[in-house]
Amino acid sequence: MKRLPLEGIRVADLTMMWAGPYATRILAEMGAEVIKVESPRAWDNLRTLIPLPGVEEPWNASYYFNDYNRDKKSLTLDLAHPLGRETFLQLVTHCDVVIENYRADVLDNLQLGYDVLREARPDIILVSMAGYGKTGPERDYVGFGPIIEQMSGLASLTGYGDDGVPIKTGISYGDPVAGTAAAAAVALALIRRRRTGRGAFIDLAQREVLSTLIGEAFVAASLRSETPVHRGNREPRAFAQGVYRCAGQDQWLAITLRTRDDWHRAAALLAVDPALPGDPTDHDVIDSRLTAALASRDPQEAFELLARADIPAGRVLDTVVIHDDPHLLARRFWVELPHPRMHPWKQPRTTWRLRQADPAPRRHAPLFGEHNDDILRGLLGLDDARIAQLRREGVIGDAPINPGVG
Amino acid sequence: MEAPAPEPLPLEGVRVLELGGGIPAAFAARWLAGFGADVVRVEPEDDRLTPDEAVYLLPGKRRVHPAPSELLALARAADIIIEDGPPGALAARGLDPAALRAARPPLVIVSITPYGQDGPYAAFPATNITAFAMGGIMSLTGMHQREPLVTGGSQALYLGGLHAAGAAVTAFFGALVHGEGDWVDLSLQEIMAGMLELYGPRGAYEGAVSVRSGNHVRAVWGLYPCADGFAGVCALERQVPALFALLADPELDEPRFRDPLERPNHDDELQAKLYAWFGDRTKAELLELGARHRVPIGAVVTPRELLENASLSERGFFDTVETPAGTARIPGRPFLGLGWRPGQLAEPVPAAAVLAEWSPRP
Repeated sequence: MKRLPLEGIRVADLTMMWAGPYATRILAEMGAEVIKVESPRAWDNLRTLIPLPGVEEPWNASYYFNDYNRDKKSLTLDLAHPLGRETFLQLVTHCDVVIENYRADVLDNLQLGYDVLREARPDIILVSMAGYGKTGPERDYVGFGPIIEQMSGLASLTGYGDDGVPIKTGISYGDPVAGTAAAAAVALALIRRRRTGRGAFIDLAQREVLSTLIGEAFVAASLRSETPVHRGNREPRAFAQGVYRCAGQDQWLAITLRTRDDWHRAAALLAVDPALPGDPTDHDVIDSRLTAALASRDPQEAFELLARADIPAGRVLDTVVIHDDPHLLARRFWVELPHPRMHPWKQPRTTWRLRQADPAPRRHAPLFGEHNDDILRGLLGLDDARIAQLRREGVIGDAPINPGVG
Repeated sequence: MEAPAPEPLPLEGVRVLELGGGIPAAFAARWLAGFGADVVRVEPEDDRLTPDEAVYLLPGKRRVHPAPSELLALARAADIIIEDGPPGALAARGLDPAALRAARPPLVIVSITPYGQDGPYAAFPATNITAFAMGGIMSLTGMHQREPLVTGGSQALYLGGLHAAGAAVTAFFGALVHGEGDWVDLSLQEIMAGMLELYGPRGAYEGAVSVRSGNHVRAVWGLYPCADGFAGVCALERQVPALFALLADPELDEPRFRDPLERPNHDDELQAKLYAWFGDRTKAELLELGARHRVPIGAVVTPRELLENASLSERGFFDTVETPAGTARIPGRPFLGLGWRPGQLAEPVPAAAVLAEWSPRP
């Protein structure tokens, strides 16, 4: 059995919400032991953001929390309590990586900055992933994924084009982008540590990572002072491109006609007139003909008809249909894991498909404080009296204190 | 914090072969080059990049047009191969991944394709927008009353490159520790289908479709016109009181706005208040208020504005690249804390020149 790349690596995970947990999910998928640390007073908000109606212990029954915290362990520790801080530093001595996505000043306020962690473990790798980084005049700005998208420049590139309005991506796009970069940073820092013996302090600004995904817009801005133009779904490099409504409830098909030849072949397949006026209205004519031709077509049939004829097409898969997509099913992309509080549902497999090591999700997200005993007793060697003291003083707990909505 | 002493680049001496030439492989290899790897890009036969994309993605790489025998020699001498050709393209060029890996187990190969190496759609053609559509994010993006909208730039392709960079260095670390690399099969569709925020699991668990919400998931999580452009707010429940304090509207003390379970029933009314409040203020004023009162507020800024951004300048974010059209400034290191080497553009070199340096790996 081939080993996963990060087997033997232990991570103390202070991250919450989406960007950080997305990073540490990747680390767990790649074989690391990830210990998620939450305070009974400040737990991961995702646990309680979308509570299931009528469920007991909603913080242990969130599909949103679960999907991004699989394969991790849960330890509760109130880091603002002296005993919590002390226990965390004991944990750090057993860890290779500490990762956090607090606001830029929080870790230092907890007196757990890089210099403190390094005293506990000289070769520790600390990954901080604040929105704007740990330095610079914008370090105190607060932000989540959509705000990162605005502040990175990306939102200025997106829009229908006829109204000048920038449009946000439908997910908190900055989060998983920053999370993926943070996972890459961990591997790079581990490579360096292996070569030099030195740890690292990674200061990752989520906004900067997202800006790296629109590099050519900075080339246009710096060489020609260009401001982004909204093109809707069109693409200047293609002969024509658009998104067209199909039969069914809010079903759409994206099509790229790379060349005039693509258009002629698509027109033949869809039985529409291929003749064009040969003036600037050509694209509008194509759009109106495709709109008419596809309105009554089944989106899956139309997609496969075009794609099999080597014309790039893609269904705009919605968040239900995508779980029944024949290709993702054939690739066994969706997996169902038992969960003690929820019925099974389709969760995404790791997207880093190492064909030999074949990583697969192993276990549901941990219940709150589920591994307190494992870690405090098993890993740190604390005795019963000490664990009882931590519990008595509220440093550890089995449930969040005063959970509400959000 | 004191600056650490000068240090070797993390990927110093690591050989990377970039094949295929599209944005996914080129972006992944750009990160690896920046972190010190010796990246050799096999130029595709047709231009897969626009001139602006080339300025961004090619600095710091050696470009080659190898003969078939030279290509095989390069692949045998590489530590990491990153490619974005269609399934089977490597084997068709005499570079069967399984055979290469059998000959040298530490080798890492990362393949990026629209749909992965196998399955019923594997051979289908794709572009950025069709990949974006098949990944599910597009169904959530745009106005509900209008067609779904693709996010700007080439995000599906860049996401492929981002994941390829991460997977490549992770598998390479595994090879250092365990002696064995791997062949990583990345699918653009899967990358996106695995990052559908709460909407993906909600669709799977509840069977309910999430609709496009345009610029307003809800009033306190939205994007608004302001005096000189657009600005947004994303307030969690614990940040709503601070946001309301900024608006200084006595009506917001009433239970229909204060109570998180009541508020959704009055979202239109609250949106109207936010439209008015944002409309009276500039981006700079809004950002300053957000920072001072710990309210998550942002503004839509353009790359031109970011080139003048004081935080990015202080943090040394941009690299400069000399081009025939002048000096371009491009996003540089993705994060601080590891050595990074800005690169310059260079003309192609003979593959033999690379092979003279790339002695066979044991």
